[in-house]
Amino acid sequence: MKKTYKSMPRKFARMLAGMSMCGCLLFTGCTNLEEEVFSEVLAKNFEPTERDLPSIVAPVYASFRSLMFGWQGYFDLQEESADHIITPVRPNGWDDAGTYRRMHQHNWTTIQWQPYNTWQQAYSSITKANMVMMQIEDGTLPLPEDVAATAIAELRAARALAYYLLLDNHGNVPIVTDYRDVELPEQKTRKQLYDFVVNELTEVIPSLSEEVAPMYARMNVWAAKALLAKIYLNAQVYTGEAQWANVIVQTDDIIQSGAFRLDSDYKNVFSPTNHESPEIIFSVPYDEVYGHGNQLHMKTLSPLSRLVYNMAAGPWGGNCAVPQFIDTYDVDDQRLYDSWLQGPQYHASTGELVITYQQDVPGIGGDGTIAADNAGFRLGKYAIKNGATNNLDNDYPMFRYADVLMMKAEALLRTGREHEAAVLVSDVRERAFKTTPEKATVNGVDLLKGSAYNYGWQEKDGTVNGTNGGADIPFGRFLDELGWEFTGEAHRRQDIIRFGVFQTKSWFNHRPHAKAQTRTLFPIPNDEINKNPNLDQNPGYEE
Amino acid sequence: MKRVTILLLLLWNVSLFAQAQQRLSLSGKVVDSGGNPITGATLSLEGQDQQVSSQTDGTFSLSYETGNTLRVTSVGYMPFRMMLTGQTVFTVVLQHASEALDEVVVVGYGTQRKGEITSSIASVKSEDFTKGAVKDAGQLIQGKVAGLRISTPSGDPGESSQINLRGLNSINGSQNPLVIVDGVPGDLNTVSPEDIESIDVLKDGSAAAIYGTRATAGVILVTTRRNTATENRTTIEYNGYTNMQTLFRKPEMMEASDYRRLIATGVPYEDLGSETNWIDEVTRSPLSHNHNVTLFGGNSRTNFTGSVNYRDWEGIFLNSAQERLNVRTNLNHDMFEGKLKTNVQLISRNEKSNNGGSSPYMWRQAIIRNPTDRIYNDSGKWQERDAYFYDNPLGMIHESIADRVFRETRLSGSLDYRPIDGLSLKMLAARVQSNDLFGNATSFDHVNTTKNNMNGTASRDTRSSVDNLMELTANYTKTFSDHKLDALVGYSWQDNTYEQFYAYNYDFPTDDYTYNKLEAGTAIQRGLAEMTSYKENRKLAGFFARVAYNYKEKYMAMASIRREGSSTFGENYKWGNFPAISVGWDIAKEDFMAGVKPINQLKLRAGFGVTGTIASAAYMSQTSYNFERTQGAYINGKWVPGFVPTRNFNPDLRWERKHEYNVGLDFSVFDNRVHGSLDYYNRDVKDLLYQFNVPSPPYLYSSMMLNAGEMRNRGFEALVHVDAFRNGDFKWKTGFTVATNKNELINLSNDQFNVTVPFFDAGYTGEPIQTSTHRVEVGRSVGDFYVLKTVGVDENGKWLVENNAGEVIPIGESSQDDRQYYGNGIPDVNLGWNNSFNYKNIDFSFSFRGSFGHQVLNMTRLYYENPINKAYNVLKTAYDPVYGETLTNDLVYVSHYIEDADFLKLDNVTLGYTFPAKAIKGIQNLRVYASGFNLMTITGYKGLDPEATSYQGDFTFAPGIEHRDRYPTTRSFTLGLNVTF
Repeated sequence: MKKTYKSMPRKFARMLAGMSMCGCLLFTGCTNLEEEVFSEVLAKNFEPTERDLPSIVAPVYASFRSLMFGWQGYFDLQEESADHIITPVRPNGWDDAGTYRRMHQHNWTTIQWQPYNTWQQAYSSITKANMVMMQIEDGTLPLPEDVAATAIAELRAARALAYYLLLDNHGNVPIVTDYRDVELPEQKTRKQLYDFVVNELTEVIPSLSEEVAPMYARMNVWAAKALLAKIYLNAQVYTGEAQWANVIVQTDDIIQSGAFRLDSDYKNVFSPTNHESPEIIFSVPYDEVYGHGNQLHMKTLSPLSRLVYNMAAGPWGGNCAVPQFIDTYDVDDQRLYDSWLQGPQYHASTGELVITYQQDVPGIGGDGTIAADNAGFRLGKYAIKNGATNNLDNDYPMFRYADVLMMKAEALLRTGREHEAAVLVSDVRERAFKTTPEKATVNGVDLLKGSAYNYGWQEKDGTVNGTNGGADIPFGRFLDELGWEFTGEAHRRQDIIRFGVFQTKSWFNHRPHAKAQTRTLFPIPNDEINKNPNLDQNPGYEE
Repeated sequence: MKRVTILLLLLWNVSLFAQAQQRLSLSGKVVDSGGNPITGATLSLEGQDQQVSSQTDGTFSLSYETGNTLRVTSVGYMPFRMMLTGQTVFTVVLQHASEALDEVVVVGYGTQRKGEITSSIASVKSEDFTKGAVKDAGQLIQGKVAGLRISTPSGDPGESSQINLRGLNSINGSQNPLVIVDGVPGDLNTVSPEDIESIDVLKDGSAAAIYGTRATAGVILVTTRRNTATENRTTIEYNGYTNMQTLFRKPEMMEASDYRRLIATGVPYEDLGSETNWIDEVTRSPLSHNHNVTLFGGNSRTNFTGSVNYRDWEGIFLNSAQERLNVRTNLNHDMFEGKLKTNVQLISRNEKSNNGGSSPYMWRQAIIRNPTDRIYNDSGKWQERDAYFYDNPLGMIHESIADRVFRETRLSGSLDYRPIDGLSLKMLAARVQSNDLFGNATSFDHVNTTKNNMNGTASRDTRSSVDNLMELTANYTKTFSDHKLDALVGYSWQDNTYEQFYAYNYDFPTDDYTYNKLEAGTAIQRGLAEMTSYKENRKLAGFFARVAYNYKEKYMAMASIRREGSSTFGENYKWGNFPAISVGWDIAKEDFMAGVKPINQLKLRAGFGVTGTIASAAYMSQTSYNFERTQGAYINGKWVPGFVPTRNFNPDLRWERKHEYNVGLDFSVFDNRVHGSLDYYNRDVKDLLYQFNVPSPPYLYSSMMLNAGEMRNRGFEALVHVDAFRNGDFKWKTGFTVATNKNELINLSNDQFNVTVPFFDAGYTGEPIQTSTHRVEVGRSVGDFYVLKTVGVDENGKWLVENNAGEVIPIGESSQDDRQYYGNGIPDVNLGWNNSFNYKNIDFSFSFRGSFGHQVLNMTRLYYENPINKAYNVLKTAYDPVYGETLTNDLVYVSHYIEDADFLKLDNVTLGYTFPAKAIKGIQNLRVYASGFNLMTITGYKGLDPEATSYQGDFTFAPGIEHRDRYPTTRSFTLGLNVTF
């Protein structure tokens, strides 16, 4: 017995050693720490082909979705800094540490989110475009030569669009064109950026597709030309040197192509099915299912309005129209009703009165003023479908035919051809005055008049003090035309900068900023300056 | 030691019957705890001159009168005292003076005697655990380990306590200590509190470094109860209790009468004609119970421990509860004359909760709801109102389903082979499998449908995890003359596979299915349903070695190293080395101290150790892409998903490393009556893993996971135990812990990016204020509030604040640049004071805990102590003047709501009675007790509970927020019973 006992442990020792070895092997080798990847696609395992091109290019455009109508995105950046739209403090909030008030009063800081958001999304698109171009060029993404050339041209045009947004909003920013270069980039001047974007577009236009429908929401020749026209339209602001003749050249190309026409119904251009509108040249498409991000209705509607549209979401009740702007409309202008939800709103099924939107808004808030839930007309331009969720289908028409006509009209007007301009303006107005067609026509003399906007500080009771009105604004009437046609399309900041209103006028609870001339550019985001010492702050925002 | 106590108790009992006052003679023997005779021990009767010495064989004889007290002393032994009551023959067992230091302490991969320890390790045995309705292992040692901050910020019966050791030591890694249960990683809930024998906490780097990369936040070693008897034993223990809870403090909201009074004075509140106290309506008086049966059985070679723990805890919110069943079996068997020890342990956990809509958000709704509103409308449905974020809390509770079933099985086994004396070869293998299954649904009467037309929502979520562990260790212990050597080498392999699946649908034809027929909803056909799945695998391999040496327990040294690799790090940085060294010197053992009798131990310790923090997620070092719908676009007339890089690639990702120095002193004085430890530590965490902000352009994403920055924590800890009365009928033990901590962020930069944003903002107020609450800046401490500082209120009722030039300006003129640092949410000092008393069969204990030198943002006041918004209910105090004025300011985040939150809490009081042994036939031991938790708080803080602040998850960098949306803490009362058969 004793002997057995003695031999057992030895036997056991061998067993234990053996088991340990096995155990070690079972656990896939004692030191193999290769990470198994299940829920990501490893770069080394992915061999893309032409078939994958759409998915590879898609992210370049995807950034524009959150950029435009995303939370505190480009829409807010352009509209809340201008004279059409405000987000006042409401019973359910919307103070948000004063961010909307700062937008309205041009007190945005170097850490303000809205301009930073635009910066981030624009550069995201740029960097993704650079990445795809690198993949095409280095053969990671092998493509036939002609496909590669068209793809590169389109990517450069899309990148130019993103750089245009930076040109317009931040001005002095770095230009990065090589994905591999991760050196801290140098800052360029606004003029250099302007030249870069203009050159890029001019260079790629001959290689871009001329097709319209298949290239919907992508950079084709017409989108590139509309963009170029837009840049020339603002060239004086960007560089100090006007380019009116070039505006006419580019817009004429689009007009003469016959590829686009004014939609017979203004509402169609913004409807949930607006991708069918013949007027849209370039859009940022949204979709309830695939392309989330159009939440304009959520921000503007009162929570009660969900009953009006039988919505499957509860809106947040925030922004609304500046009452002074509403006053400028001709009451027969159909666009007043197509653009702004106003007056009584009725229950979708019972027909009961739900809420009545009033034009008056007591103030932006911050002083204890709270705008009632129904204060202010709401943005209804992007028609809200029955049963809407928190994401709308309506595409954002970034460039549309009416815009091309109006760009040309402005260039004509500013070069002494106001009567030719008036013809174009009248064309655009026509569909807005179907019941009173005589009001549709304007003449050149009208366009030379000032603005009908009663610029001045609005008191809580709605009276406007310190009025300096709009009569003194050169081509003010034309600016009004832009306002009525393009309100709620994220045009307004750019337009009133070009007409000098942004820097000089008071509206609602906004007075000209002490450093008004410097407010036409947003600051370089402080976070980016901290990360890249090559960046200097824009004038007027230095510490 | 235990047997001596029993012997003494028996003798006392005998003495009760011997009353006669006559001279008796006593003879006997003086021996040590090993039964060896002690020569030359001095025996005397107190108050008398008579003195005798024991013979070489330890024998003695003397005479006495009943009632005399015998005193026996001998050098190197603890003195012995006993009242003599008729004994004639008696053996005196003297304990070595160091015996109190002989306590076994669990260290990584082994045990050491307390006297040999050279690191900072705290050990709490079951007799010192918190008594009563204890939630989890954390609460057992609350306030008992200096430097370990344990709190229970939520009253939710399903939430466990939060635990933090020596401050905040990582930005992205886990703040939770590594919890090892019987050698296998687990958590504070792995075993029921009743099942725990001891909890040891490896506090400093030199102790924890053997656990390498998981040890920065400290290591908690949980040892379960097991049958350690060396002879036949069959014991059954039953522990049961029932428990009642009340709200610790209730927010004093305005009532219907307050509304009507204010309406009469012209305040535009809406009188809806009814009267409802919403807080009373959503809460209840919960009754909970807990039953635990433990069985010990077996003989000297085979023994068994089994336990079944069932508990059904109700929460204070309606419909909130957790039911739990834990089963544990532990089987040990010795083979081959004790050369092979085998162990198999099986732990099964089942947790079930059915919480309905009793969420912290529901609590907000109960607080803000108009008290003149009614619960039901005329048609018997929930009375809803058309306001934003404003729902009937009772509708939320009753029309939502939130079910969860969690199951875990852990199976572990070990073989311990001891071929020669002192050598142990051990293999431990374990598998832990868990499955977490959730089901959520809302009915047709829920606001999702009544307001948002969703026609019922439902989802299922399931998560599964499998952990494998294998460890091989060889341990060799050798004592030669005065030298003792202890050596360990080992290898450890751990892998974890985690999988998850989630599906959500809505628009159902009926709400009868709840979440049990997801395909019946039509949102999926409309493309509006949601689905996710995920899988990851992580591996961790380590080689380790340790040598401990001591000379006469006077000079001690320990060195260890762990080389560890993780699959989550970059190709070239998978492996890291984590060394540690520590030394100790017990001055009391020096010859020159021999004459200093009162000092039993005076051990100086110093240690240094490196530990790491593992990446908090898998895949972070991978160069990979994903197809994402959010990155998709409309291309060629259809929507395609976008193919994007998942991150800015960083294949150089590597370990976060903590370097920790610790110096300490263990002392024991006055016959070991007073003992404790003092520690000072300095921890520097380098290469912090952090979502570092990188310039964009040129990078695609504006942050990337990098090793950047350095953080420091320093602090002092003291633990003092006093056995104030330890002999006689009355016993009093008291323990005191104090710990300080000072955190500093040294930098946030990296070799690659030498420029950096020197701060980041953290914390979030929530709607409608929507701003960050804290700022973490280089050179400052984590937990600093960053806020507009209020200095008054102007005649219009608007805040006056201090701008960045120090001038007082109206808040309307202030900007974000005027924000400043104001207070810090992490306490500078934490105290614990524990007391236990015994008088005959009665035991009584109480403990206090306190935290000092910190501030808390009282969110309840921030949101509800401002009368501006008439749409929501507010605190009664909202109309009180502030700085002499009535507030008309918007809700804003200002320093006015950040309060000093020093507190001292009477945490636990327990009174127990143990029936005399054998008082009831068949019952060995019977104890009944009553206990109360969270009884009283002394504080100037005006909120509900100054301790109810989280410092995990979203609050890691925003500590010190008593959130408005939370599950309020409770006060609880427990009646319990312990029976041993």
